[in-house]
Amino acid sequence: MPELPDLNPVVHGKMRLALLSLLAGVDEAEFTWLRGKTGSTDGNLGAQLLKLEEAGYISVEKRFVLRKPQTLYRITEQGRQALMEYVQALKQLLGSAIEA
Amino acid sequence: MQHPMDEQELKAQLNLIESMIAQGRRTTEHWSWAFVLWGLAYMVAIAWSAWGHSTALAWPVTMVAAGLLTWFIAARDSLQKAETTMGRAVGSIWLATGITMFLVFPALGFSGHMVDTHVFIAVASGILGLANGASGVLLRWRAQFGCAVVWWAASVLSCVLGENQSLVVFLVAIFLCNIVFGIYGMTRESRGRRARGAVHA
Repeated sequence: MPELPDLNPVVHGKMRLALLSLLAGVDEAEFTWLRGKTGSTDGNLGAQLLKLEEAGYISVEKRFVLRKPQTLYRITEQGRQALMEYVQALKQLLGSAIEA
Repeated sequence: MQHPMDEQELKAQLNLIESMIAQGRRTTEHWSWAFVLWGLAYMVAIAWSAWGHSTALAWPVTMVAAGLLTWFIAARDSLQKAETTMGRAVGSIWLATGITMFLVFPALGFSGHMVDTHVFIAVASGILGLANGASGVLLRWRAQFGCAVVWWAASVLSCVLGENQSLVVFLVAIFLCNIVFGIYGMTRESRGRRARGAVHA
C-alpha cells in the first residue's frame, strides 16, 4: 500500500486555502476584495495573509490610489506550487479514502 | 502534519479550492451599471436633440456628463478589485471604444460633416457592435454577443431605412443592448453575490 501524503499545514487552514485559491485565479487582488470574497474580519484576514506572506506563498505591494492606501496581494510561484501539491495530496488521500 | 481527514472533509476542501478559483476568474469588475447609465444617456441625448432647447449641446453635454459619471464610479470601485488578464482585455476594448467615440463624433460635429443621421447611427452602432462582439467572444457570453448582432443589424438597417425608421431602430437597439442587457447583467451579479457563501477559518 503506498504511503499517504502529508498535507501542508500552512495551506491546510480553510481561510488560507481560500485565499491561495482566490489569488491563483487572478493577477493581483486588493485587501478589500479578498475580505468581500471570504467574508472575514480585517484582523483575521490580515493574520492569515501574513502567515502566507511569511511562508513565501504570496507577495504584498502597498501603494496609493486617489490618495487612499491600497494593498495588493499576488500569489508567488512558490505559493502556486504549494497549492498544486496540496491538491495532488488531497486527491491521493481521497482516492485511498474511497478504496478503504 | 494534518491528516487523516474523512472523505467528506477532503471533498469539502477540494470544493472550496474549485469555487474560490472560479470566483477569482469570474469577471471581477462589475460593469452592468455602465450599460444602463450609457443607455439612459443616449436616450436623454436623443430626446434633448429632438425636443429640447440648444439642441447642438445635447450630445456633447450628455456624453461628457455620462463619461465623467462613469469615471467617478469606476475610480471609486477600483479601490476594491482584483485584476485579471481577462478583465484587462475586456476593459481595454471598452476604453478604446470610448476614446474612439469621444474623438470621432465631436470631430465630425465640429467640422460640420455630421449632416446625415444615417451615417451617425451606422457608425455608432457599428462601433458598439464591434465592442460588444469582441467582449462577448472573450467572455464567452452569448447574451453579449447577441447584443453585438443587434447593433450590427441596426448599423446595416440605418443605411437602407428612412431617417425616422433608422432612429426607431437605434432606440430599440439602445433599449435592448444597454437598458435590458444592463439590467440582466446586474440581476446576474446580484444573484451571484447572494449565492456566494462566506469562508470562515
